[in-house]
Amino acid sequence: MHWNTGIKVIAAALCAALLAPAFAQDAPVRIGYAIARTGPWAVGAQMTQEPNYIMWADQLNATGGLSVKGKKRKIELVGFDDRSDAETVVRTYEKLMTSDKVDLILPPWSTGATFAMMPLAQKHGYPLLAPTATGRKLLGMKNPYFFSLLQQPDRMMDALAEFLKARSVSTAAMIYVDDLFGLEQSAALVVSFKEKGIKIVESKSYPLGIKDLRPVLTDIKAKNPDAFIALSYPPDTFLVTAQAREIAFNPKAFYVAVGAAFPIYRDKMGPTIEGVMGLGTWNPKTSAATKAYFDAHVAKHKKEPDRWASAHAWAGLEIMQQAVEKVGLDRKALRDYIAGNEFTTIIGKIRFKNGENISTPGVVSQWQGREFEVVWPPDRATSSALHPKPNWK
Amino acid sequence: MGFWLELAATGLITGGIYALVAMGLNLQYGLMRIMNISHGEFLMLGAYLTWLAHTVFDINPVAFLPVVAIVLFFGGLAVYRLCFRRIARTSPSVDVIEARSLLVGFGLMYLVQNAALLAWGADMRGYSYLADAVEIGGARFAANRLLAFGFAIAASLALLALLRWTIFGKAVRAMMQSPTGAQLVGIDTAVLHPVVFGAGLALAGMAGGLLSMVYEITPSMGEPYTVTALIVITLGGLGSAAGCLAGGLLLGLVEAFGMHFTNPSLKTLLSYGVFIGVLLARPKGLFAR
Repeated sequence: MHWNTGIKVIAAALCAALLAPAFAQDAPVRIGYAIARTGPWAVGAQMTQEPNYIMWADQLNATGGLSVKGKKRKIELVGFDDRSDAETVVRTYEKLMTSDKVDLILPPWSTGATFAMMPLAQKHGYPLLAPTATGRKLLGMKNPYFFSLLQQPDRMMDALAEFLKARSVSTAAMIYVDDLFGLEQSAALVVSFKEKGIKIVESKSYPLGIKDLRPVLTDIKAKNPDAFIALSYPPDTFLVTAQAREIAFNPKAFYVAVGAAFPIYRDKMGPTIEGVMGLGTWNPKTSAATKAYFDAHVAKHKKEPDRWASAHAWAGLEIMQQAVEKVGLDRKALRDYIAGNEFTTIIGKIRFKNGENISTPGVVSQWQGREFEVVWPPDRATSSALHPKPNWK
Repeated sequence: MGFWLELAATGLITGGIYALVAMGLNLQYGLMRIMNISHGEFLMLGAYLTWLAHTVFDINPVAFLPVVAIVLFFGGLAVYRLCFRRIARTSPSVDVIEARSLLVGFGLMYLVQNAALLAWGADMRGYSYLADAVEIGGARFAANRLLAFGFAIAASLALLALLRWTIFGKAVRAMMQSPTGAQLVGIDTAVLHPVVFGAGLALAGMAGGLLSMVYEITPSMGEPYTVTALIVITLGGLGSAAGCLAGGLLLGLVEAFGMHFTNPSLKTLLSYGVFIGVLLARPKGLFAR
């Protein structure tokens, strides 16, 4: 008896000693990123991006980790605050890639920050699946490691033009924010609307941080266009909505850009936004997968994800996960795999061509009740469109 | 209401908001040369307190304004005691106070902003209050903007009267003109200084509370307001309550008419153009004596 026990103990100890190195080899996969936790970019970054990174790592770690060619390894996120500063973005990624030598990187928030650090991704060979960077300018850089998950401006504006054309809209007025985003979107809009024969009766740009747009809206109201389109950022999205309501400017179609998909837009503006349209891709009704994602996000972070880029951020993580499962952590092989294959994500199949997501169509969404319903294209619609828009409440 | 009158009213209302934003800093920088660059951060605190009271405790934001004022007033006394008292005492001249307080202000800015981030996170917040339009002479104006405008006018006039016609106001002005002289005639600057500073923060807090009804709020919302406030008080003449109001209204009008005749993108160019023009003609501001 005693001998038996003794042998068992020794055998167990030997086993443990032999297995220990095997455990030690399973070091975590280190994934680095810089993102805004402070400063003006933090609103968007903390709405759309970082909560997804954290949720993804936690979910995978709870099931044993990220599968690297079938072998599970824990994820260790190495995240830094970029203080909403492009310079810090670049320096942080340089540090992550050269001195920390992380296995993979996740993108920063916004077109500007991504634009600033893209060359590093190419130089050090890190695939970059960007969920909040959009614009043909970025794709024009022909960076083989850059993949843009959002729909490009022309795709979104084509969808809007088709939607409006199908409802016999013939005139439109637009305002756009005076930066790369607004310029690209408005240029795309002009082309799309011309193609569909929608006349643009007024087009004005405005600077970031504006506090009053009423004079412009009053002028536009006097021209009585069928549709009003604001290619706006979150503060101005709220501003034009409140001021259009103030002067009772209620065109048949009212469209605002970034921020329309944020739950805070609904919460701040209240039921008055019934029928307001904007940039979106999905909502919890889109599929069982988006419902599961939505519920997990609310449970984890106690806040709803936005109905546009949040799901694209999640899709980027899914693509990264599927590619690592297949080809491991060889980053050149990862890039080639991502560039050459189709992936199944919560926003549907995604395939890239020269860095552009060519699978996700342009989408038009509209607030109905408490949900940002997808109303165009018809095969993605979760509800039929309210047209003309009801009066401001 | 005619088109031009409505456009002017729009400009005046926005201008009133600019004046409102600037009033608190006007007391601190205009009257005491304390360059409180964290002014916008205290405005943000006022906005968050009001938002919190309204969304969590369901308190009427307007009724809550006095509470915000009191909290920030005493907060101001504490901040003064901790950060600015020593500067005011040890600096040989007001110019030195200005330079030193600027540095302290920067530190406070980061401190308050990050404290707000820790407490409430980076998310955008907001609530809908008095967002309905009120009809005046056929034109429609959002009630919350009108309220902010009315408050700015009333507070400016009250401040003007206080500084001009009360013994307290005289003492404050004397303290500004000559701190030593004021002490010689028996003005207790050791009490007056922190009280005026606290009043500045209280005004900033109330401005924040009013703005939280109009705009959405974030922890980083303060910095642009500090810049606006600096332009307005320099335009109007440092320390002048009437100048602060006039400066704000002028900026609002220039923007409204500028937007109508040109393009909103030129807004900054126009308002800085007016700013430079005024400073060339009257280097000390519109209402400086």
